[in-house]
Amino acid sequence: MVKRLLLTALLLGSGLAHAEQASHNADEGFTRPLQDLTFVAGPDTFVSASSAAMQVYDPLERWNRSIYQFNYRLDQWLMLPAVQGYVYVTPKPLRRGVSNVFSNLGDVTSLGNSLLQLKGQRAMRTTARLLFNTLLGVGGLWDPATAMGLPKEREDFGQTLGHYGVPSGAYLVLPVFGPSSLRDSTGLLADTVAANNLNYLDVAESSRQHPQIKVLEAIDTRYVTPFKYGQLNTPFEYSRVRYLYGEMRRLQVSE
Amino acid sequence: MLRLTRLAAMLAGLFLTTSAQATRIDASTYGYPISNPFEATISGTPPNLRPSVPDDEDIKQSDYRLHLHTDGAKRLPDIFWNGSSLPYRLARQDGPAPLIFIIAGTGAAYSSGTVESLKRLFYGAGYHVLQLSSPTSYDFITAASTSATPGISRDDAQDLYRVMEAIKAQHDDLQVSAYHLTGYSLGALNAAFVSQLDEQRKGFNFKRVLLLNPPVDLLTSIDNLDRLSQAQLQLQGRAASFDLLFDKLARYFKDKGRIEIDQALLHDFQNSRERLSTPAMAALIGSAFRFSVADIVFTSDLINRRGLITPPQQQFNYATELTPLFQKAAACNFRCYAEQQLLPMWQVQHPGASLAQLNQQVSLRALQGYLSNTPKIAVMSNADDLILGPGDLSFLRQTFGPRLSVYPLGGHCGNLDYRVNTDAMLEFFRG
Repeated sequence: MVKRLLLTALLLGSGLAHAEQASHNADEGFTRPLQDLTFVAGPDTFVSASSAAMQVYDPLERWNRSIYQFNYRLDQWLMLPAVQGYVYVTPKPLRRGVSNVFSNLGDVTSLGNSLLQLKGQRAMRTTARLLFNTLLGVGGLWDPATAMGLPKEREDFGQTLGHYGVPSGAYLVLPVFGPSSLRDSTGLLADTVAANNLNYLDVAESSRQHPQIKVLEAIDTRYVTPFKYGQLNTPFEYSRVRYLYGEMRRLQVSE
Repeated sequence: MLRLTRLAAMLAGLFLTTSAQATRIDASTYGYPISNPFEATISGTPPNLRPSVPDDEDIKQSDYRLHLHTDGAKRLPDIFWNGSSLPYRLARQDGPAPLIFIIAGTGAAYSSGTVESLKRLFYGAGYHVLQLSSPTSYDFITAASTSATPGISRDDAQDLYRVMEAIKAQHDDLQVSAYHLTGYSLGALNAAFVSQLDEQRKGFNFKRVLLLNPPVDLLTSIDNLDRLSQAQLQLQGRAASFDLLFDKLARYFKDKGRIEIDQALLHDFQNSRERLSTPAMAALIGSAFRFSVADIVFTSDLINRRGLITPPQQQFNYATELTPLFQKAAACNFRCYAEQQLLPMWQVQHPGASLAQLNQQVSLRALQGYLSNTPKIAVMSNADDLILGPGDLSFLRQTFGPRLSVYPLGGHCGNLDYRVNTDAMLEFFRG
């Protein structure tokens, strides 16, 4: 009896030992990736982090939400069909050219704001871009500066204000323009006024006489903006965009 | 003629042996550079190790919308007007070609990054590509789900199948030589159930079906993901916040001298001194999923008038502040959704059924017989996949045999755009 028990125990034992050895290679090498983490009980990170992300100063939320919906529909029914038509009738190189022209004009704004922020190197790089694009590329129709390793740097007056410590203030959704803030709306206004007064390459003047230029600029702006309403695919898109806008601007100002 | 068949048999034999060998991927020769599964999950494959694929501008593609007039769509308050029809994307080749359906993962839309990258791969290899949102995504729940309570795999498959047939009818001019099916993460589980349904309905007669990083035991997977948001962080007394992440990004950009957001960003960032710790990455992954869960919890409750999140008498207009409702929904994790919404709905038809029983019915295990006897279905998974538990890979091996490939690294779906994997995917569908 004892002998039999012993034998069974031995068999069992060896079976176990065998299984243990096999388990090293078994389960197809599964590494249990969560085993090295420490977990805490109680309210989780997501609850506190996501609720912090929702705390954006937005005293005009009701108004902003309505404008957001207005913009959404405007985009769906006017801007995106316009872009679609634009893509349909223009070949790719031409569209690229148009984008470069307008982004080149944007460089004037960037340059002014880089100088205002005394970002010397940045201003020099933007100046170089401007020169390359205007002199080498005909009116910026192609973008050799990017090809030459000078990536696009956007500086606007909202950033300049932020650089000098002006807080962003209340969140604002502007009709047509979309997410903004009190500070950035002021900046946008200043940049627009400045661009119109500078009249670089006579564009501001020409577009007063030929409003189609403004239309083309609007379509191009939409064409190069990757954001699409509904794309976040969440019932809480307004809040998510509001948070991301704030963080994006914070990044741009601090950099 | 005889020689030809013999040659064919020999070639088939060769193919079988290579595919059997390909199921054990050697860690030393695999070459995927990211050994931390959390980092792999977040940042995917470094750009220089991805396959070359067509530019978006060279892909003939459009977004369409499907109006299915579901009860959910009818019951939706006006402010969610964009949810009443289901968007999807079709990339079409010029002539006749095989068509592949891609089903997105948990909460993800037809246009999300992983679906887009799979689209570029298959389009470049000559397929028509049809991109579908996950049954757990906001647009699908509102516009295409019968119960507006996703998670019952068989029901989700029926909803998907209805969508796929409606899309097929909507594009009857498309010349399709054969139908294929794939999905990643939860979308892979959906694909398995859709494939089984197709055996009865025969609407597509899928030639090949590929499951990428599927959950095996659904409850294990959702518990794993829930736990990620409980990972202990070293915050030195600060409250957990996404701002901390953006602060790191800001410092990183400052060091770099400029802001550049491109494919290489995450890799460069993780190689900088601002790199995220493993627990922080875990919490970030957990958070990404929890945003999806909050959407599911809110939308399902709203459409079914369960009153858990949205008070039944709540009126919505275009100016309604939704933040308090989000905060309520955000406190409910995957398991909370399963217990508070999914299980009670299931119990209406299965009185007294437990969550464990429900789990049996909705997991891959419920299809074991079908999966083990269906040679056209294959699986790719990773030894360090975050959504798996002990025994899951063994189950896949028992069920699929040589049709399972286990890669040593990649985390959850991080290696789907690694050249070794994409080559294997294309090879599988070519075979």
